Amino acid sequence: MGLPERKARSNESDSYLSHLYLEAGKPNGITLVAVGGYGRGELSPGSDLDLLILHDGSLANLSEFVNSLLYPIWDRQGPATLPKSIDYSVRTPKETKEAWQDLKVALGLLDARYICGNFAQFEAVKNDAELAWKRDRLEELRMSLNERHERFGDLAYLLEPDIKEARGGLRDINALRAISRSEAININTDQLDDFEERLLNVRDSLHKVSGRDKDLLLFQEQDKVAADLGLADADVLMGQVATIARSIDYLLNVAWHKYDNRKSKFTFRKSKPTNVGKNIGVDNHEVIIEAIDPTVGMRAAAKASQLGLPISIDSCELIKGIGLDNPWPREAREDLVAFIGGGSAMERVWEALDQAGIIEEWLPEWGSVRSLPQRNALHRHTVDRHMVETAIVAAKLTRTVHRPDLLLIGSLFHDIGKGTEEDHSDRGEKLIAPIARRIGFSESDIKTLQFLVKHHLLLSSTATRRDLDDPATIQSIIDVVPDMQHLELLHALSIADGEATGKAAWSDWKARLVRDLVNRVKSAMKGTLVAPEMELNEGQIKEAENGTLKVSISESSGSYAIEIIAPDSTGLFSIVAGTLNLLKLDIRAAKTRTHGKSAVMTWIVNLDPFATLPTDTDISEALKEALADNEKLKQRIDAKVKSYAPLPGVPVPPPEVEIIEDLATNATIIEIRSHDRPALLYRIGAAVKQLEIDIRSVIASTLGAEAIDTLYVTEISGEKLARNKAEEVVASIRLAID
Amino acid sequence: MKLITAILKPFKLDDVKSSLQALGVNGMTVSEASGFGRQRGHTEVYRGAEYTVDLVPKVRLEVIVDDADVESVVGAIVKAANTGSIGDGKVWVTSIEQIVRVRTGERGTEAI
Repeated sequence: MGLPERKARSNESDSYLSHLYLEAGKPNGITLVAVGGYGRGELSPGSDLDLLILHDGSLANLSEFVNSLLYPIWDRQGPATLPKSIDYSVRTPKETKEAWQDLKVALGLLDARYICGNFAQFEAVKNDAELAWKRDRLEELRMSLNERHERFGDLAYLLEPDIKEARGGLRDINALRAISRSEAININTDQLDDFEERLLNVRDSLHKVSGRDKDLLLFQEQDKVAADLGLADADVLMGQVATIARSIDYLLNVAWHKYDNRKSKFTFRKSKPTNVGKNIGVDNHEVIIEAIDPTVGMRAAAKASQLGLPISIDSCELIKGIGLDNPWPREAREDLVAFIGGGSAMERVWEALDQAGIIEEWLPEWGSVRSLPQRNALHRHTVDRHMVETAIVAAKLTRTVHRPDLLLIGSLFHDIGKGTEEDHSDRGEKLIAPIARRIGFSESDIKTLQFLVKHHLLLSSTATRRDLDDPATIQSIIDVVPDMQHLELLHALSIADGEATGKAAWSDWKARLVRDLVNRVKSAMKGTLVAPEMELNEGQIKEAENGTLKVSISESSGSYAIEIIAPDSTGLFSIVAGTLNLLKLDIRAAKTRTHGKSAVMTWIVNLDPFATLPTDTDISEALKEALADNEKLKQRIDAKVKSYAPLPGVPVPPPEVEIIEDLATNATIIEIRSHDRPALLYRIGAAVKQLEIDIRSVIASTLGAEAIDTLYVTEISGEKLARNKAEEVVASIRLAID
Repeated sequence: MKLITAILKPFKLDDVKSSLQALGVNGMTVSEASGFGRQRGHTEVYRGAEYTVDLVPKVRLEVIVDDADVESVVGAIVKAANTGSIGDGKVWVTSIEQIVRVRTGERGTEAI
């Protein structure tokens, strides 16, 4: 089995067809042409015989001739190796030209090979076909490829892939050859023969051991195919298939990238890239890196994912070998969260980086699960792709938790322990700690991530196997899950894991059982998820009692901390947030608290690209100006927000604004969970200000691309808001940020 | 030949499976089901708001047995599935006209 056999099979078919042609009396004006796979001179045991019967229209008994060719094949009178089915067409050269409109015919003709008959007739058709192909049909080819990939998925990631039709499979090899033959771009096809031979060997073996001509590499056949090819086991086989598929897919991506660049060269208007962050821009509908800095790779990945754009292949090459410091700077950690929080838009960015080897540079542990098959009837994907899919589902659930960053990272690594005999949850719990530490999470966050990885199956296994009416079942969960925050994270991870695994693993039925369990545990659990108010230190209290404006800015782990103590006034919070925004400071976190007649505020900010760091005095002056003229501040913010509008974005879950009942405080607590957007805190503050109430404290945090803000508000008199007033506040905030 | 159908609480499936295997019953079909009987669903309280769960998750188990084994199999299912509380489920028995094993074409008790 292998190339010689495929060639021999093709040669035998050639001889048999020539023999039939001779027996029919070598009619004039007839040519037999092999097309498609048969045209390439190779036939697998299950291949079709793709045949074009060319005629010049002069043969009176054409149908008799065609029958004399087809019936012996259908009746299996030829050699045993002759394909069982024949895919034929009978056309004049003119009809053949008309049939070029069909992409499949056009591609088949590119491989046309003379068998017997009128050689000049064959040559004319073949030359015409090659010339016609050079008239740009690549866009059409790309669309058909995209449709097929959508339908058949990825050869590298599916556990039971179609070796011919899936992305990275045999058809894509032919597509690459066709792209090359269009001469629109130069692509490196050196390795294609080798890739094709290896995939064809797998396919031949599959046809042989299954006795069928199907190309779906099912679980039940994988071990047999591996043994037939002399490989240790199915995992080795599938690992090899995945490696080839990834390489083919990469070549295809490079080819389309070159093609798009070539097209953009032909347009006269050469636009300047739009800057979307420090050293990164958007050019020709992709994110590009304009200059190198230590964290530019992750920033570009985050931006591409959040804008729903691909990352340039050239840019991926640029950041190879840069790596990241250990631990990562805060910015890189936040960008990773924003990157994987982009939902389905994240996938192609991840793939581009993975193919370029960047993911493994950033996260070396990923190598142990890359293309790792899993023998499990419930799963559809390899371990690495399953974790990426889980993170994609998790991005839709970020509003359901208070720590979207931990949910996303937990989802991305929940099965990292797979690949050995050891229980994967136990192994994963050990592996995630050094990863999370390197990414720069705090020790308590690392513990939460370990908890998530270790117990990611707890809720679904308990919900389906234990009696939910039994208080001991609920207690068994409370014994493991320390608080509400861990419970909501675990619930969201269970949903994401289940949905990413597939319908067989996560039905509405199972989702309902798990939800029922979680609700019962919540009812039995004590405690709250509300962020506590800021505690003031002695120095801050003293300054607050002075009652004058005081500003100080200092560097804090790659970001800047700004402390502002200012005389309190209605709307102060939104004015400060807006002023910082206009000073080109990106607010990542804020804590504010009123003390006496002053407000004490700590803001954590990043500097926007091209901005210069303001001094204490710059901030003081800007604040004084904004306090004196609120309307001007509003106009300037509106103008700035408008300037962001033309950039694309990915779909995000709608914001959640909720009143939290907490008896422990005499303020009304409003919690806002939203996708981060320009001037978010300014808008929230402004929405509250117009209702003439007081913001006593704010705890605001940005986790990747998600923001969670907690407001403690009271009437101006200091009392808790009545329920209807609180609901008015919620509606007003919702309107301002939706 | 009889078809025994049982509607059970999901967490009881493992116990029922083990008792049937102990009786020598090797094949069964299990599917996810939802429904309610006299239990009429139940009311949940979540974050202060009451809502009714009218369809309760259950599993549906189907086994085909020889007439002689009906009593022992039904007995085993009932014993293993019983918790004594409301919503434990139901078991019913129906007659079967014919069975064919698809792979071999065997018919009747041979195909069980």
